[in-house]
Amino acid sequence: MFGLSFLTPLFLAGAVAAAIPIALHLFHRRAEPVVDFAAMRYLRQVPVEQSRRRRVREFVLLALRVMALALMAFAFARPYVAAASAALADGATVVLVDTSASVTAPGQFEQVRSRAADVIRQAPLAQAVAVLSFAHTADLVAPLSADRSLALAAVAQLQPGGGATRYAAALRRASEELAGRPGRIVVVTDLQESGWAAGTDGAVPENVTVDVEAVASPAANLAVTSLRIEGADAIAALANYSAGAAPAQVVFAAGERRLGAVALTVPPAGTAEARLPLAGVVSGPFTATVADATGYAADNVRFAVADGDGGIFVLAVSSSGNPADSLYLERALTIARGAGGFQFRSIAAAALPSLDEATFGGVDVVAVLGSRGLDQRGRQRLAQFVAAGGGLLVAAGPDVDPDLLTQSPAKVVATGWQVRDAAAMNFAPDDSRHPVFRLFGGAGTLSNVTFTRSARLSAPSDSAVIARYTDGTPAVIEERTGKGRVLLLASDLNYRWNDFPLQPSFVPFVHETVRYLAASRAARTEYVVGEVPGQAAAAGAVTIGTRQVAINVDPRESDPRVMTSEAFRGGIARLQTPEALQAGVSDRQREDGQGLWRYGLLLMLLTLVGEGLVGRRAG
Amino acid sequence: MNVGERRGASELRFLDPAILSRLGTLELKARTVVEGFLSGLHRSPFKGFSVEFAEYRQYLPGDPLTTLDWKVYARSDRLYVKKFEEETNVECHLLLDVSASMAYGSGEVTKLRYGSMLAAALAFLMQRQRDAVGLTTFDDRIVSMMPPSARPSHLHALLVALDTVAVGSRTDVTTPLQLLAEGLGKRGVVVFISDLLDEPERVIDGLRHFRFRGSDVIVFHLLDPAERTFPFDRASRFRDMESGDELMAVPSVVRARYLDSLNATLDRYRRELGSSGIDYAVVDTSTPLDFALMSYLSTRGRGR
Repeated sequence: MFGLSFLTPLFLAGAVAAAIPIALHLFHRRAEPVVDFAAMRYLRQVPVEQSRRRRVREFVLLALRVMALALMAFAFARPYVAAASAALADGATVVLVDTSASVTAPGQFEQVRSRAADVIRQAPLAQAVAVLSFAHTADLVAPLSADRSLALAAVAQLQPGGGATRYAAALRRASEELAGRPGRIVVVTDLQESGWAAGTDGAVPENVTVDVEAVASPAANLAVTSLRIEGADAIAALANYSAGAAPAQVVFAAGERRLGAVALTVPPAGTAEARLPLAGVVSGPFTATVADATGYAADNVRFAVADGDGGIFVLAVSSSGNPADSLYLERALTIARGAGGFQFRSIAAAALPSLDEATFGGVDVVAVLGSRGLDQRGRQRLAQFVAAGGGLLVAAGPDVDPDLLTQSPAKVVATGWQVRDAAAMNFAPDDSRHPVFRLFGGAGTLSNVTFTRSARLSAPSDSAVIARYTDGTPAVIEERTGKGRVLLLASDLNYRWNDFPLQPSFVPFVHETVRYLAASRAARTEYVVGEVPGQAAAAGAVTIGTRQVAINVDPRESDPRVMTSEAFRGGIARLQTPEALQAGVSDRQREDGQGLWRYGLLLMLLTLVGEGLVGRRAG
Repeated sequence: MNVGERRGASELRFLDPAILSRLGTLELKARTVVEGFLSGLHRSPFKGFSVEFAEYRQYLPGDPLTTLDWKVYARSDRLYVKKFEEETNVECHLLLDVSASMAYGSGEVTKLRYGSMLAAALAFLMQRQRDAVGLTTFDDRIVSMMPPSARPSHLHALLVALDTVAVGSRTDVTTPLQLLAEGLGKRGVVVFISDLLDEPERVIDGLRHFRFRGSDVIVFHLLDPAERTFPFDRASRFRDMESGDELMAVPSVVRARYLDSLNATLDRYRRELGSSGIDYAVVDTSTPLDFALMSYLSTRGRGR
């Protein structure tokens, strides 16, 4: 039925305020004083307003004022025309079109488009049709309308992307689009099993039916599921989603430059890694591509971003800068040199202030093994380095003067220490879940390390003891300074106060410690489609701010296993939304869509402008 | 209070001693430069028809023989000269507008009251000069008329008439001026006191008649301060005091054009009356009466 309805009709009571100008008009109708005047002949020569004309103007003013107040009440009551959606009251069809990575097999998306077009054509003429595309999110591509050509054109324009299938989000969005109307949601999809993996149910009102138009999935799919650089190798992981072994050739490339190719066979329903030794340092985005004639196209390529600096850069500061002062640390780190590993450089403490900014700027972790010659500028540089997010490892051995590092200004660490008498001790992690010790699964081989001398650390209250000697005193303390991390080892790292460098646990301890210290400067470089806001729903290497990141297809999307329509429907939860609430939601959305209140306020403003102009003339 | 006391008080109201003293001073100053104004603040240039005996004194060599009183000489055998105070033959006509618009006053003094005081002051001045003073009040007709006379008792009657003058109806100078001009026996001085709220053509034509007949004409154009500045601030219905017609006006909107219209009319009077040899003075009723007279005399003095 045609008619104007109001979302908040209570505000219409505000129209009573229109009585105010009427009352004022009536009470002050003769408000103008009568002034006896003699020199009327001069006044008559001026084109003054006659009383009758003024009366007309007063009535116009009154009408404008009343109208302004009525329009304000009208706008606040949030009007909407119920008739505008009356034609849709018979119900609507919302077509959800799957545009995820799992419909990118050859010919698959053409089927999707065709099925969607069929659904649109076959929808009852009395019903409006809307089209939404969905993958990890759902987007409206054709709003509810009786115009079928609009919906068909929208479907023809659709393209699959790299997003993951998420049915729940799509169904929820489609239900919102129906806005409480009875109707039908038709999902045109491959029914990929992982589409329900998000863990949330699809919420569909009771008066909405859900139908599925399933398109076939490929029987086999070969996907590149990860890509990384370890040491001097580029490694790509392949997954074979088929019952037979899949021979494949993985092509590695950095931009337009082909790095090499690796041929391998991926076992049935299994994975394999393709490892390519890199001739040089790889920097920036690179890809691994596999040819897959039958499976999904979207997961045939994987993107990654190499930092190109050859790994975590560790700068060892010793008293002399002599390689012998940092021999064991250097040996431990050079085992994993290059990308994904470590870079190492040793420097004398006295030379730290003069180290060029370009080199120091690339340092991730500074290991202080000796402090002789470390002047205030050097300490200041270290303190600024830590505050800016750098990692600092201090070996409280015989070459490090605690007073030098803790004195202000330019205090490098807060923890002080004293060298204590020789006593053979072992150490064990205080919290085995700490990233430095997680690898050791408790004390493990660490307990074999024998410390003949050590430092007694005076741990500040805001520091954390992460390892203790067998006598309970702190062995490793962590401080947080600014954005950076500081670890203090209460002994040395150069085989003088302990036999740690000779123990098998030394190398992993050093690696984990350095990685942990460098973690605050490391940044994530890989995301899946949909994780980075504002980016297109396609895989690729993109620049976010100043850094490059790789966006890839969610590996779960590569699994072509499907479910039945019944299983799909079984995953749908019914919204027990009361009808009144649904109607309310519907009305609100209808009102939102029409936005008549804006016109009401605009008219009110125009009325007030007119009132101002007329009132100015009337005095 | 008896009648005599009340009348005396009324006369004093018009003849404010302060005003009179100032006028007297002004008379001495103006006597040498002004001829003919209100019998000139100096002796009349015209020989009088009637004489009034003042005193006898002994004949001195050089006295005109015509002034000898032969009858006394016959009786007493002594030569005496008769001294006479001459009485001028100038007739001064005070024409006072008493139309309804003259009853307007934004302050304590209406234009009619101000005009009455002005006429009284002038009449007193004339009487001191032994000139004959007459009073005519008019609106669209002649309301009252007192022929000119120089008798002291006439001044008293004239002042009483001014004190009891009543507001008339509409302003229409055509008929009264025409009748007065025709009835004017000989040349004299015509003092026209009015707010001139009539058609300027009719006012100017009417006054020119007097001028053509040889009379000096002086016009005091009375304006209330509110008429000069139009100080109203809120929209009002302005009611014509003569016709009762109402006119709605927003002062802030019409003020400038009202003042333009007023000033244009004043300029026209000043220009056209001046070209006809008619003295014209705009008098603001908020200014002191003596100030208005002095202002006028000063203007006249500069003009001659």
